[in-house]
Amino acid sequence: MPFVVLHLRHKIIKYKGLIFRVCYYKITTCKDFMNTILIPGDLIETDVARNRNYYFTDGNNSYCTSMCILNNGRLVPLEGLWYPNEGETVVGVVKEVKNSIVEVDLSHFLRAIIIKSPRDRIAFRIGDIIEASVKQVEDKKTIILIFPRLLKSGQLLQVKAVKVPRIIGKNNTMVGQISSFTKSNIIIGYNGLIYIKGGDMALAVSAILKVAAEAHKPGLTESVKKFLERELEVTEK
Amino acid sequence: MANMLNKPELLRDDGKRLDGRDLDELRPLSIKANVLKNAAGSAYTEWGNNKVLAAVYGPKEVVPRHFLDPERAVIKCRYAMAPFSSLSDHGRSGPNRRAIEISKVTKEVFDNVVMLEEFPETAIEISIEILQSDGGTRAAGITTAAVALANAGIPMKDLVYSVSAGKIKDKIILDLDMLEDNYSDADMPVAVSPRTGNILLLQMDGELTRQELNLGLDTILEAGKQISKIQRQALIDVYE
Amino acid sequence: MFTNKGYYMNSINLAKANYIKELLSRDLREDSRALMDFRDISINTNILKNAEGSAQVDLGGTRVLCGVKLQPEDTMKDTPDQGNLVVSAELLPLASNEYDYGPPSPDAIELARVVDRGIRAGQCIDLKDLFIEEGKAWTAFVDLYILNFDGNLFDASYMAAMSALSSAWVPKYENDAAVMEERIKKLKVDNIVTATTFAKIGQKIVLDPDANEEAVASTRLTIAVDKEFIRAMQKGLSGSFTQKEIQDAVDIAFEKHAMLKDYISAQSNK
Repeated sequence: MPFVVLHLRHKIIKYKGLIFRVCYYKITTCKDFMNTILIPGDLIETDVARNRNYYFTDGNNSYCTSMCILNNGRLVPLEGLWYPNEGETVVGVVKEVKNSIVEVDLSHFLRAIIIKSPRDRIAFRIGDIIEASVKQVEDKKTIILIFPRLLKSGQLLQVKAVKVPRIIGKNNTMVGQISSFTKSNIIIGYNGLIYIKGGDMALAVSAILKVAAEAHKPGLTESVKKFLERELEVTEK
Repeated sequence: MANMLNKPELLRDDGKRLDGRDLDELRPLSIKANVLKNAAGSAYTEWGNNKVLAAVYGPKEVVPRHFLDPERAVIKCRYAMAPFSSLSDHGRSGPNRRAIEISKVTKEVFDNVVMLEEFPETAIEISIEILQSDGGTRAAGITTAAVALANAGIPMKDLVYSVSAGKIKDKIILDLDMLEDNYSDADMPVAVSPRTGNILLLQMDGELTRQELNLGLDTILEAGKQISKIQRQALIDVYE
Repeated sequence: MFTNKGYYMNSINLAKANYIKELLSRDLREDSRALMDFRDISINTNILKNAEGSAQVDLGGTRVLCGVKLQPEDTMKDTPDQGNLVVSAELLPLASNEYDYGPPSPDAIELARVVDRGIRAGQCIDLKDLFIEEGKAWTAFVDLYILNFDGNLFDASYMAAMSALSSAWVPKYENDAAVMEERIKKLKVDNIVTATTFAKIGQKIVLDPDANEEAVASTRLTIAVDKEFIRAMQKGLSGSFTQKEIQDAVDIAFEKHAMLKDYISAQSNK
C-alpha cells in the first residue's frame, strides 16, 4: 500500500544579521508502510531525529541498534529496554526493606532503591506495590527513587517498556481515554509495569494490551476508542 | 568423520548435488520471530531439514557471581541438540564436548555485536535448541539467535548470519547438509557481520587451497544477502 | 522470598500472588476461567521427521514438545522377552527466566518419573510388543522438552507423551541392524492415560493452575486416570489435602478424562 508522509520541518536562516525561521514540508513516499521498519545495523539518514539509546555511530554514519520505525522523521524504537530518565514515573514492588533503604523491583536489570528519610511515614512491606519518581541514576547501576506512594489491592500488568509512551499518548490522551471508558484508575510506570484498580479492569487490561500490540500503527487513538465503545456495548447488552 | 570406505558420490552426473541443488544454492530457509511467550525474544528456523529454536533472556542478574564483569554484560550461551533430533541415535541429554565448543564460539560471535557496555554487571542468556538436525546446525543456531536477540530489543551493532561452505572434489559448495558434511572434502562454517563484512566465526576442517578458501568466503558473502533478507522479513513480520 | 518450589520468587510475582488470592476469595481467576476449567488445549503430532513419534502440546501458555525415539538394544536378563521404556524431561532454559543451565533439576526428574509411572501402570504400551528377536528389543525413549513454562507441566506432559507415542512408528529391523529410514508399522498403544492437576490456594482448589497460581499454591495434586482406574498420583509441595478434597478431585479427573482422551486420539489418528 503506497502512501506519502509529510514531515513538517523548520529551518533557521541567518541573513544580514537577521534570523528567519522557515517552515517547509518534506515529502517522503513509502512504497510500503513496513519498509520504514529498521533492524539492527541499518543506516540511519542524517536528518532523522533520534533517541540516544537506539543508535551508534561508526565514522560519519549512524546505524540502528534495535528494531525501530521511522515516524515523522523520528526514530521510534519497537523493541528495547527502558533507559531511565529523571522525573519519570515508575511502578514497582517492594523487594527488601532495610534500615535506611528500601529496595524496589522494577522488573529491570538496574537495582532501584528508595532512601528512607525520617519524615516518611510509609511502612513498607515486601510485596507492596508502589509508585515513585526517578530522581537519578547512579553509575549506570542504581536507580534512586523519590516520592513513593503505596498502591493497594489492584492488578499489576506488565508490558514492554518501549510501548509505554504510546500507552500514555500525547498529553495523556490514550490513557485518559481508556480510564474514562472503563472507570479504572490506571497508573503507568515507564518501566513497563502498569497498575490498574477499580472499574472494568478486564476491559482496561485488554485495551492496554491492544495499544501495546499495535503501538507502531497509525490512527491508534481512534481505533482504541472504537474498540472500547464496541466492548462496552456488548457488556451493556 | 564418517567411514570413508563407503563414501557416496555427492555430485550427480548433471553437476547438481544429490538433493538437486546447484553448487551455490541454499536449502529452503524460513524464520519466524517471537514464537515463545516467556522469553524476551525468540525465533524458530526451518533450514532444510534443520529445526532450530532460540530464545534470549536478560539482561538479568549474573549467576554464579564470579562471572560478573563490572564494565559490561556477559553473554551466556547454550547450544544443545535434543535427544530426538537425529535420525540414527537417541542422543544423551545435556551438553557434550561438541556442544560446549559450539556454545563457546557462538558466544564469541555475539560478543562482537551486542553492545555489552550498556549493561554492566548483568548477563544476557542465549539458548539454542536443535530440535531436528541435518547438518549445519551451528550456522542455523547463530542465524536464529541473531533474530531472537533483535526481537528481544538487545542493542546490537549488526544482525549477523552464518552459513557453511565446503568442497566436493574441486568444487566449492554452499550450505552443506548432513551427508555432505560427513563425506565432503572440506567443511567451513562462517558467521559474518553483513554491515562491515567482518568475519566473526571461522572454523574449518578438511583440505582447502588458498584460492578455494577465498572462493568459499565469496560464496558465503553472496548467499548472506539472501539470508539477511529472510532475517529482516522475519523481524518485520512480527508487526504485521 | 522462597516459594515452596525451591526457587527464588521475585517480588513482582508476589504482588500478583496477592491479587490472585483476592480474586479467588470471590471464586474468580485472572483469565476469567471457572475454578475447574482447563485452559485452551492444542495438540500437533508428527512435527519432527527424525523422531519416530512427536507431538507439541500447548496448554494455555505452557508448551511441551515430546519426541519418541526407538532404538534396538540388548534385552535385560530378568525380562528377556520385552523391550524398555525410558521417560526423561528437560526444563529448558529457554522456557522460563527461572530455569538455569546445568544438570536436570529435581523438578524435571519428578516430572519425568510421574509421567513414566502413569504410562507403565496404565499398560499403555505392551513392552512385549517391543521384542524383536532373541536378545534384542526396542527401547522407547520418550523425551519431554519444556519450551515455555506457564504452570501445570504434568498435564501437558502427559498429553504430549501420549500423543507422541500414539503417533509413533516402528522402524524396520534387518540383518541385526535397525533401518531407521524405513518405518514399517505403527507403535501399538493399548491405553490412554490422562492427568489432571489441582492446586490448593488458601482454602480453594483450582484445576490446571497457571504459573502465577502455582507460585502461590500451598500444595498440588496430580491424578492420572484411564477410563476405569486411577493409574498414578502425585502430591507435590508442602501443604496438605483432606480426604474429601481428594475424593472430589478424583471424580473430576475421571470426568475430564473423556475430553482429554478425545483430543489425543483425534490428533494421533489424523
